[in-house]
Amino acid sequence: MTTVAITGAAAVTSLGATPSMWRRFDAGEHAAGAVVGPSVDALPAAVATRAARVERLGQLVLAAGGGALHAAGLATIDGPPRAAFGVVVGTAFGCFLTNAAYERRFVDGGPAAASPRLFAATVSNAAAGELAIAYRLGGPSVTVTAGAASGLLALGHAADLVCAGRADAVVAGGADALGDELVRWASVAGLAPPAAASEAAAFLVLEDPASAGRRGVSVLGTIEGFAAAFGPDASSVDAAVTRALDDAGIAASAIAVIAGASSGASSRAQQVETSTRFGQTFGAGGALALLAALRAAAPGAFVLAVDACPTGHRAALVARAGEP
Amino acid sequence: MPDRAIRTAVVTGCGVVSPLGVGVRAFWDGLVAGRSAIAPIERFPVADLDPRSAAEVRELDIAEDRATAFARRAADEALADAGLAPGAIDPCRLGVCLGTTLGGMELFERWIANGAVAAPDRIPYYAPAVALARGLGSRGPVATPQLACASSTQAIALAADWVRLGRADVVVAGGTDLLCRFVVSGFNSLRATAEIARPFDAARRGLVLGEGAAVVVVEDARHAERRGAAVRARIAGVGCAADAVHMTAPDREGGGAIRAIDAALADAGIPPRAVGFVSAHGTGTPYNDAMEAVALARTFGRRRVAVNSIKGAIGHTLGAAGAFEAVMCVQVLAAGVIPPTAGLETVDPACADLDLVRGAARPHDVDAVLSTSSGFAGTNAALVLARA
Repeated sequence: MTTVAITGAAAVTSLGATPSMWRRFDAGEHAAGAVVGPSVDALPAAVATRAARVERLGQLVLAAGGGALHAAGLATIDGPPRAAFGVVVGTAFGCFLTNAAYERRFVDGGPAAASPRLFAATVSNAAAGELAIAYRLGGPSVTVTAGAASGLLALGHAADLVCAGRADAVVAGGADALGDELVRWASVAGLAPPAAASEAAAFLVLEDPASAGRRGVSVLGTIEGFAAAFGPDASSVDAAVTRALDDAGIAASAIAVIAGASSGASSRAQQVETSTRFGQTFGAGGALALLAALRAAAPGAFVLAVDACPTGHRAALVARAGEP
Repeated sequence: MPDRAIRTAVVTGCGVVSPLGVGVRAFWDGLVAGRSAIAPIERFPVADLDPRSAAEVRELDIAEDRATAFARRAADEALADAGLAPGAIDPCRLGVCLGTTLGGMELFERWIANGAVAAPDRIPYYAPAVALARGLGSRGPVATPQLACASSTQAIALAADWVRLGRADVVVAGGTDLLCRFVVSGFNSLRATAEIARPFDAARRGLVLGEGAAVVVVEDARHAERRGAAVRARIAGVGCAADAVHMTAPDREGGGAIRAIDAALADAGIPPRAVGFVSAHGTGTPYNDAMEAVALARTFGRRRVAVNSIKGAIGHTLGAAGAFEAVMCVQVLAAGVIPPTAGLETVDPACADLDLVRGAARPHDVDAVLSTSSGFAGTNAALVLARA
């Protein structure tokens, strides 16, 4: 993969929002559950007003995606749609909670109670649509579901879009909203995760290095390689890792920090644990793991983020920490 | 670094489960004959719903989890058409990319109503792709694009990207969706539905829903060549763009659709004049069709390009719609015939710049075709398919 620059990042989690979230993370705190408090306070008033009216997933994506665009210096909220800027959202459950809200009203009250407002949001790409409208993103807009590997898959696809010259910059990452209906379903489905279920969104701005250079912005790191795989066992996780390393053109021994699902990659690498700290965050997990790994790495060091879902979806992404 | 620049994505097989019949032959023959499968819904209670017509798949007797069953059947046909036995493909180089907007929604309805359901793990949107990937023994990339009514257009685009970037040799790609009370009541609540679908007609009142699955085998051209496979079409270009205007209403200027089309043509490296036929999204809603007429007029200028919509024949199959169009486009390239737009009688003057194919199928040899899709949240996607 040709290198892609990371020029902004933001997250909202059960440990709060970036940047203060990292202080609590460094202090060893852990929390699971819903994002507490209004997560859109830091956004422009017009976006916060918009966020107040949208579904929970949209609020999370506006908070973290908007935050990442602000951090990258690309947070335009007026003017015509910008064709060179896109969005890729990874989400395991998408609009599940909205579907439940719509269906409950319909079942209880019949067609007269069916809500057109809720139904219009029973598409998982509603959150990406909200972000595109709020920040004038008129380029590629993709939402993708691959279980708990959705976030890294979204980042990998966004990097491909930038590499191919189909966008100058793409805000990409993952998000999943938490609610009673989802928790109830997960227990019925026997999918109770090993770490407590948690709500989060984490987004990065991936940008063409030439564009980042022209803008003179600082680069947090670079995306170097990506791979997705599928399978029932640990060997398919290793396969994703091997292919991501191949894509980056580096050996496993070059990896300094690993975050996310365990794999057979370099045992000498430092392991950064995120799911016991933020909880099991599904679509957001991969992007959170990547951000934690980049923070832990020395300048110029390679990091590996790995996602593995009980469904069989696997993804691995190689990045390199930015020079100061 | 993989040798990305020289890979070409081609279609080597097609399969469908459609309201016009199961299998590509029945689907294509029905389209060419101008048949419509739209009729009153029979499979679930609709007495309290209005409108209550749709295009149902009636040939298959499926007890539950229709979206997955449709997709499996369509994938089996597509793989057989491609001459591929699943076991003959390197599993690590085999991917699955399947769009859907409803997936396990019928199971979800049962769970909400009863608090229990036999297979709750089949409810999430990713479930049909997971079932297909497990059945095929895939170890390559597996994903479920979620772009509302452009989901399967993007599924084929993402599959083509994976192949072109060397991330897979073969990807089973397409879309699947089902009819259920959830979706019929929802579109009714938006007052977006009608009893008859009349794409681009002056009297169009709304869309009519449909169901089914369409799957194509997307393959690295060199992989296809090595095994001596017949290439049905080349995926020449893909594009995707947001309107960034409104969550449900299309951009009346067609901004997102135009950007998606421009991106697909640029990706294909061809000018608009090289496109001989457009498979329009053509839902039959007043706003969508008017928006598309604006977007296509802007793209093609004074040249009246041949256009049809298959939604008058099989309804709006949502997350499968773009894949159905792709299968139709592959047949158009091969047969040199464009199916008519069922339901279209009097062309809306606002759509008069389009050379709409109606009444009877039209013999028309084309080298490159464009398929466009648009959906909720202002999403747009486009594919350019070309003769191999």
